[in-house]
Amino acid sequence: MSSLYSPRLIAGAFSLVIVGLGLTSCQRPQVNSVANEAAFPQSTNVGPIPGGVTVANQTLDPYLKDVVAIQEGQRLFASYNCSGCHSVHGGGGMGPSLRDETWIYGNSDAQMLDTLIHGRSKGMPAWGNKIPEDQMWKLIAYIKSMNTPLEPNAPRMPAEEVIPSGDFYKPSAPAALNTPPGPSH
Amino acid sequence: MNSRINMPNTVRSFFPSIGCLALMVALTGLPAAGQESVDPPPGSLPGIHPVAPLADGQWTMPAGDYGNLRYSPLDKINTQNVQNLHLVATQETGIPHGHEGQPLVVNGTLYMVTPFPNNLIALDITKPGLPQRWVFSPHNDNRAEGIACCDTVNRGASFAEGKIVYNTLDAHTYAVDATTGKKIWETQVGDLKLAETETMAPVIIRNTVIVGISGGELGARGRITALNLQTGKIMWQASTTGSDADMRFGADFKPFYKKDQGQNLGIKSWGPDQWKLGGGTVWGWISYDPGLNLIYYGSGNPGPWNEDQRPGDNKWAITIFARNPDTGMAKWAYQVVPHSGWDYDQMAENVLIDMPWAGRMRKLLINSGKTGYVMVMDRETGELLSAEPFVPVTWSRGYDLKTGIPNLVENKETHSGKNIKGICPANVGGKSIFPTAFSPRTGMLYIPATHICMDYQGSEVNYIAGTPYLGADVLNFIPKGEAPGALIGWDVAHARQAWSLNSGALPEYSGVLATGGDIVFNGTLDGWFRAIDARSGKLLWQFKLGSGIVGNPMTFLGADGKQYIAIYSGVGGALGATAFPSLSADAPDAGLGAMNAAKGIKKLTLPGGALYVFSL
Repeated sequence: MSSLYSPRLIAGAFSLVIVGLGLTSCQRPQVNSVANEAAFPQSTNVGPIPGGVTVANQTLDPYLKDVVAIQEGQRLFASYNCSGCHSVHGGGGMGPSLRDETWIYGNSDAQMLDTLIHGRSKGMPAWGNKIPEDQMWKLIAYIKSMNTPLEPNAPRMPAEEVIPSGDFYKPSAPAALNTPPGPSH
Repeated sequence: MNSRINMPNTVRSFFPSIGCLALMVALTGLPAAGQESVDPPPGSLPGIHPVAPLADGQWTMPAGDYGNLRYSPLDKINTQNVQNLHLVATQETGIPHGHEGQPLVVNGTLYMVTPFPNNLIALDITKPGLPQRWVFSPHNDNRAEGIACCDTVNRGASFAEGKIVYNTLDAHTYAVDATTGKKIWETQVGDLKLAETETMAPVIIRNTVIVGISGGELGARGRITALNLQTGKIMWQASTTGSDADMRFGADFKPFYKKDQGQNLGIKSWGPDQWKLGGGTVWGWISYDPGLNLIYYGSGNPGPWNEDQRPGDNKWAITIFARNPDTGMAKWAYQVVPHSGWDYDQMAENVLIDMPWAGRMRKLLINSGKTGYVMVMDRETGELLSAEPFVPVTWSRGYDLKTGIPNLVENKETHSGKNIKGICPANVGGKSIFPTAFSPRTGMLYIPATHICMDYQGSEVNYIAGTPYLGADVLNFIPKGEAPGALIGWDVAHARQAWSLNSGALPEYSGVLATGGDIVFNGTLDGWFRAIDARSGKLLWQFKLGSGIVGNPMTFLGADGKQYIAIYSGVGGALGATAFPSLSADAPDAGLGAMNAAKGIKKLTLPGGALYVFSL
């Protein structure tokens, strides 16, 4: 598992935490009530904190505007079977929608990476030792592109489909074999 | 069981005219198919005999009766007075997920199993407002929620010898003391690590509890398991893929059709080792014929959905089985669709009835499932007597009754990398898990039918434990000019539709109850609970519930002698989950393609979960 964590990634994650703590101690932007990090300086935030946002939404993903990488992320989304749970365009199924504005475990780059690496308790597998870091960022870039102009092959409402009546199997003489006595109406 | 089973006295007493009706039956002059059938309920058509006692004021098993008629002779609520039906009690479950299944009523108590975490709630039906007696909460592993394909549903419990027996999503079977609400035993019947979950309702036959397994969308391998009612100990298991020994096929196993004959087909009809991830799970309803001492049930889709990854017939997925419940040994099996590439699970209930067929009495099994056909079979031998479509069908053009093989339409077969358009029915099925009812008074099967078709693109998929094993991108749709669904009155003997009542803005997605009052009860996905004339299909009464209906109506007699009707409200399940906030309406393929067939659902209903009880 550790082989896939590059030193850069780990360093990045730590610096994020440090930045997050720094912000919390001096600026506290958009925070209503704050988890008491001061009392537990060794703690790190791996998910959303009830009561307020304490993780800075810092950009870590190098591919957020890279249309080629986003397309690659869409391909990975299918090949790693993300689409099996979240559906082909991320609209949700067994797993929740990734297209909407609800993020159970947060949508900062760091939070999404953490969700991919460690999985989540209601069925999201831990991909940390299965997907290389670079591919995770492409996946995140694709997911973040959903419902934006950057989304490749965005879902469209299909036109109403007509089935040619000849395609329907309609037996010509149904139930000729059934003769009375049988119930009738 | 060689003697006739008499209708319980409690039922007889409500039918003062039973003597007259018995005379009518006697005058028909038709011999009964077997000495085992029970007396027909009052007003039955000539020659129709249920195989087991009907729901006689209580409701002790999922369908109300072993034959899965879902018919109660109770007639205090009838076509003359049903417009006076009114709400007498409700009970929230607090769980906004699909409330499939139905309550039980035994000894003055109503029992309901909730969706995950599968609480068992006991209500006192002898007092106004149905006060709570107790709630039993199992220790349900929440990993199960993430590997349940189609919402965290449960389809109900069974009662026997003072015990309520039911399954939990984390693949345990519980027996709970029906009086005290205390656990008697608990047995693990599946492994979450293999994506095995439990959604089906067990059936109890004498001292044997029969349970299946879910997980066919995640590479689980199907089976049924028999448990000892007293101890919970596993007595036998019978797989739906694998060797004949695993299948419990012995010397008595005699499939009717040549295509189903041969050794170890559960291995040979697959590529190497594919049967180990082959699906064929058992998540539907189980029927039982006491006279023949056989249970009947079906197996689900083969896995993965992408058919190019599993060459062969893929036995014994999509198969109807007849087995001895004491030993588990199979009597016959009939694979309904070989090598299916459309997710046509064969989990539908098998309705057992003795009645005249083509001029002579037969022991029939009637099945209306995902394939869109009403199949009538001889349940002693497994011979297919008739297969007529009850919804628009494009994947095949009927069945060859001599070989038992469907006449496939070549350009509707699915393949990797190809988008095949206009396959009807869709993966949801011409009828999904929601069971029919059969009235001996009308000879009709009442089918909750959907008119959903699909476009289907196969794709290569790798097996990753605990994730879906599908390999298909599916888009459901309602074909232009079709209603989304309908409740169909199906004349069994003439194998044709007698009437049809559209389900409104959304597909039909709830079970059916038929009663001696010639009423059929049924719900709609947007929450209308409806009473319908069993003979004409005319809508007689309806009432809007708090959330969409995906449950099955049932009826019982109160301590006050009144007839009550109960139904769950609570939208969900594979198609109904499109109402959940966690599925996005702007992705038409969300929910395995279901979103596009449930347009507008988020405006028509909201998630919820409650019991509703009605009376006059």
